[in-house]
Amino acid sequence: MPNLKLMLAGLGTALVLSTLGSAAAAQDCTTKIGAVLPTSVDWGRPIAETAQFAVDQVNAAGGAAGCEIEMVLRDTQVDPKVGVDAAKALVDLEGVNVLLGAVSSGVSMPILTSVTVPGGVLQMSCCSSSTAFTGLAEEGKTEGLWFRTFATTGVQSAVGAKVAQDKGFGSVAILYKNDDWGQDMARLIAADFAAVGVDVTASVAINDAQPSYRAEVTEALSTQPEALYLALYPAEGTAAVREWISLGGTQNMILANSLKSDEFRDNVGMQYLGNALGTDTASPRSESADAFVAAYQERFDAEPNGPGLANSYDAAMIALLAMEAAGEGASGAGVAAAISRVTDPAGTPVSADTAGFEAAKEVLAGGGTVMYQGATGNVRFDANGDVSAPAVVWSFTDSGTEEVEYISLEDVDAFIASLN
Amino acid sequence: MIGVISYLVFFATTASILAIAVLGLNLQWGNTGLFNGGVVAFFGAGAYGTLILGGTPQAGHLGGFELIYPLALLGGMVLAGAMAWIVGLLTLRLRHDYLAIATFGVAVAFENLMRNAEWLAGGAKGVRGFERPLRDALGDGFTYNLVFFAGVLCVLICVYFFLERLVASPFGRLLRAIREDEEAAQSLGKSPARVRLTAFVTGSVILGLAGGLYGTFYAFVSPQDVLPTLTFQIWAMLIVGGAGNNRGAILGAFLIWGAWTASGWALSRFAPVEAQLYTGSVQFVLIGAVIVGMLLWRPQGLFPERLVVSQTGITPQKEQGA
Repeated sequence: MPNLKLMLAGLGTALVLSTLGSAAAAQDCTTKIGAVLPTSVDWGRPIAETAQFAVDQVNAAGGAAGCEIEMVLRDTQVDPKVGVDAAKALVDLEGVNVLLGAVSSGVSMPILTSVTVPGGVLQMSCCSSSTAFTGLAEEGKTEGLWFRTFATTGVQSAVGAKVAQDKGFGSVAILYKNDDWGQDMARLIAADFAAVGVDVTASVAINDAQPSYRAEVTEALSTQPEALYLALYPAEGTAAVREWISLGGTQNMILANSLKSDEFRDNVGMQYLGNALGTDTASPRSESADAFVAAYQERFDAEPNGPGLANSYDAAMIALLAMEAAGEGASGAGVAAAISRVTDPAGTPVSADTAGFEAAKEVLAGGGTVMYQGATGNVRFDANGDVSAPAVVWSFTDSGTEEVEYISLEDVDAFIASLN
Repeated sequence: MIGVISYLVFFATTASILAIAVLGLNLQWGNTGLFNGGVVAFFGAGAYGTLILGGTPQAGHLGGFELIYPLALLGGMVLAGAMAWIVGLLTLRLRHDYLAIATFGVAVAFENLMRNAEWLAGGAKGVRGFERPLRDALGDGFTYNLVFFAGVLCVLICVYFFLERLVASPFGRLLRAIREDEEAAQSLGKSPARVRLTAFVTGSVILGLAGGLYGTFYAFVSPQDVLPTLTFQIWAMLIVGGAGNNRGAILGAFLIWGAWTASGWALSRFAPVEAQLYTGSVQFVLIGAVIVGMLLWRPQGLFPERLVVSQTGITPQKEQGA
């Protein structure tokens, strides 16, 4: 064991030496922010890359709060123990007061209760969707330190119901990922379908990494629905949809945003997805969203398709904007308090890129407020750290996805209100 | 500096909790030879039991009994023990790998039950709303973590001495006798089935105790905490430390958990940004390599079992000579 540590230290030293030369210091000082993300999982790595991308853009604009930003990334391995330990190490050893992450609610929650809230650290998650966070915030136990840019559970289920209503489907079967997000999603969409008069014939849980989903698919198929609602991730979604179609199931499908992925489209086959409509929270009708997509394409040579990418970008960007607004040496609570200054609906609109960050710096330096127009929309947090957002209905094309319908924030709110 | 101490206290708390679990497994595997592949089920039963019994009322699932903390923790241990008793009655007639597979199945069933039975424990959302004991008096910060660590350390020491006494006692000899040759033990008028069950339940209660402390520390438990990875981690700790040796079990827990976290820290600290995205995968390779190396070159663990000859007067040489 000592040998391993020595080896690691030696390896590390060599790596540091080799990179020191290339790291040009744009600023005299460096502020660290932490990120705890599941980089050892296939869909987790792009989420981390996107967060790093946002940090790079901010550094290109001269950093935040007068210092260059360094994002220290730790892997959670989707293991709560490992994630909590990583978060604690970032807070205690690296001294971060802004923490991005985690993805899974089951990891974010113990980090929140045992690390960030006791430590007074701002925690901003891209992707944790559990309704338990709203409950915790309502009890006042997050102390205003918890935010998440994942708006999609409530908004998405409502828009999914709207699609079914607009297309005139009389009955729908639901397949959902058997985790906190999927269970919430299935419960919400079933209620929303019922509210618009669509019959839910079956609601079947899909467990991860099963060799076959024939039993689950057959159960849903036997109820003969007119359409299928899928709240799944690409790997399980592909397997389930293949079985569904091979058994003669309908090609009328409504997809949650988690299936907005090239992998899913390619592996199922475009010829079966002609009648598939997806839902997502939308980009705003502004140049900033285009700027994000363009910049992303330039950097990664691919469209930003994949679960949580836009959310991850916005989480990093808003946290950094808030750091800028809070000024040098601000505490985690100080940064958290500054978030309302950078997501102010009455503020100066700024785009989600280097130029936008530079513009925001000027406005904030003059004591003004800005409205961040992010990759997931004009992000606005409520008192519980939750967001609402405009929505979009999309479909697959040969090269990616295209927008079918845009639903503004007002329309989304009105539609959600009409459901209750 | 205070940051380093604060982190070390946090690290040592987690490691001590895991060490308690490894001690529980050591009683089952190291001393009695019971291959428990479902460690996480008993650990989870303790965690869920403690949080449900000691937590505040939550809408939508069982819980909110708000028992005082020692009672809640005891309840978690009783739950783990009761589950072990039922599982043991059904499966302890199985040997070695059959028992491993059966208990592994129990653990998977436990995780799936917790994930799906929303009325019972909140489903995938998990159980929250637990007030950590003495939080009002000590606040939430470093002092609390320090006191909590002291408490966990006391429990670890108590469990250690309890097990040391137990394995040195005639009952401990009986456990080893059954481990080595069940029929020989039976021929001496012992009842292996009952003794195996006793050892299995006792070990599981200790696992439940570790789980209860774990749930208390995070004030939260969800199905993600009871994935098979934890079983694997606890086994790795016992194998590296040395099965059959309680000190080895504790050392193994600290070493493996230390390597697990230190490698993540070192990679994130020293590897360049591009490589950082792969640290998770690299970490798995490193940990796997350590375990494989251990099994190849020192399969008895860092602290091998010390076999004691309890009958003095007849030296081993004489025995051989006779």
